[in-house]
Amino acid sequence: MTLLAQYALTGVVTGCFLILATIGFSLTRQVEGFLNIAHAEMLGVSAFITWGLNAGAGWPIIPSAVVAIVATALIGLFIGRVVYDPIRKLGPAVVLISSVGVAYVIAGLMHAIIGTGIRTLDIPLATTYKFFGLRITNYQMIVVGLAALTGISLALFLNRTKTGLAIRAMSANPELAASRGIDVRQTSRATWLLSSGLAGLAGVMLALIATLSTDIAFHQILQILAVAILAGLGSLYSVIVAGLIVGIAMDVSVFWIPAGYRPLIAFSVVIIALLVRPEGLSMKRRS
Amino acid sequence: MNTVFQIGLTVLMFGSLFSVLTLSLNLQYARGGMINFGTVAYFAAGAYAYAIVTQEPPHGLDQYLVGLDMPWWVGFIAAGIAAMAFAILTGWPTLRLRGEYLALTTFAFAEMLNSLLVNERGIGNGTVGLANVERPDANILGLSENIVYALAAFALMLATAYAFRRLLASPYGRAVDAIRDDEVAAQAIGKDIARLRFQVFVISSIPIGFAGALYAMITTLVNPDLFSAEVTFFVWIALVLGGERTLLGVVIGTMALVGFQEVIRAIPFESVRAAEIAASAEDIVTGILFIVILRWQPFSALARRRQAA
Repeated sequence: MTLLAQYALTGVVTGCFLILATIGFSLTRQVEGFLNIAHAEMLGVSAFITWGLNAGAGWPIIPSAVVAIVATALIGLFIGRVVYDPIRKLGPAVVLISSVGVAYVIAGLMHAIIGTGIRTLDIPLATTYKFFGLRITNYQMIVVGLAALTGISLALFLNRTKTGLAIRAMSANPELAASRGIDVRQTSRATWLLSSGLAGLAGVMLALIATLSTDIAFHQILQILAVAILAGLGSLYSVIVAGLIVGIAMDVSVFWIPAGYRPLIAFSVVIIALLVRPEGLSMKRRS
Repeated sequence: MNTVFQIGLTVLMFGSLFSVLTLSLNLQYARGGMINFGTVAYFAAGAYAYAIVTQEPPHGLDQYLVGLDMPWWVGFIAAGIAAMAFAILTGWPTLRLRGEYLALTTFAFAEMLNSLLVNERGIGNGTVGLANVERPDANILGLSENIVYALAAFALMLATAYAFRRLLASPYGRAVDAIRDDEVAAQAIGKDIARLRFQVFVISSIPIGFAGALYAMITTLVNPDLFSAEVTFFVWIALVLGGERTLLGVVIGTMALVGFQEVIRAIPFESVRAAEIAASAEDIVTGILFIVILRWQPFSALARRRQAA
């Protein structure tokens, strides 16, 4: 029983990471209207900038992470303006396939610069804490804490600030938002910064809790897609629920099924969910 | 001269082989409006079906459970049936999903199949795969094996292109086009959209299965690594490169992409690092090509100009 609870707890950590990784993806999906396959590569970009500054240049972890997140946000904005903006009118399928091209370019660049092999950050080893017989490391707690913090601040941002409201208006109905005087281009830029910055944050988390290799991003996109489909198109709150469901389902499944099937569980959940409810958890339809 | 001939032959062989996939994808996407991001699954189903049917029964260290030891043509037919069966299995529940949802679900199914092949050693020795896959003896024709298989791939491509062309020129093909152009109108004149889409999906997966069998014959090896999502992306890039909707464009796009990769692979490298950088450069150039072609669409612009003239 304790073992099962332990798996569930690990699942919560995985879920929190997935939430961080998926929120930016969902935001892009809602405001820009397409699935950004290259989003996962942005996690890799941020993770490797952190690694380069921390393990390579010998910086402490926190400034490295901050620089990595800001840099990733700017790179995301740059890619958004140069690649995606001009082709948005060609429809979501074209942009989706273009983002595969972007993913290829980023992955190729990372491969060329960093090379293969496994990397770790230059940080103290994780300390394990025990609560009621359940183990959790300090880095895992950071992931959970940051996911909660991000969720709350994002909710405040989207509900209280002008830019946040503009982003929500854009995601609900772009034409109406534009006709009501919302600066579409500026809002789109803010979204790119925000979603890439979130990818950057998730990338730093990834560097903290996992060993890094250049093909890491590809494994993340599968899970991000799973969470995003499960959450559907509606609110960002459904991403939180979906992230936790997928995370817990994947880790708890290890209790009964061989661990090799862990990624498969994510998709089984999604396929079942799609068949039962094709519009995702949030039940909202896009017009 | 010899290397050029070898590269040319490889391009013809793999170019034709992957053209079969691109042609099928073209039918699904450009005609049927379905985004199939799990193309590799049907390819893998065909290759594994062929390998399992023709493989000798397991012995020694083998972990696979079934090896039927049948002649190659039985395996070839089985490959088509396996791909079709997998298409029925995956298409039936998912085809009511739209656009990107369909893309993601098919992608998910492909990943699931890959995961099954890795984890269930009883199917094909897990990650090790099945080696020494049987293939028909090419020497009967008095030509070298590579030439025979290149010709076989070319023939399969021609047959696929011909079959699809006939299909699309028929009233059935016009019904398919009608659905793509306007679903409501097609429904209004009594076309069963869901059923037609399902049929197109299943029919177009059969040649992919055949291509899988041929691929297994050429490489004489099947393992899960050969059938990763990269194959799907590769085929999609080829489709975009060639410009959708024309069969010739699709084939030329695939050939160009295979040729590009083969040329890069033929460059000798002094160190592992140089080879690594070249491999990354291949990815980067592929990606940039992808973005540029989608943005400016030179091929469809060309087609439009020709129509106007």
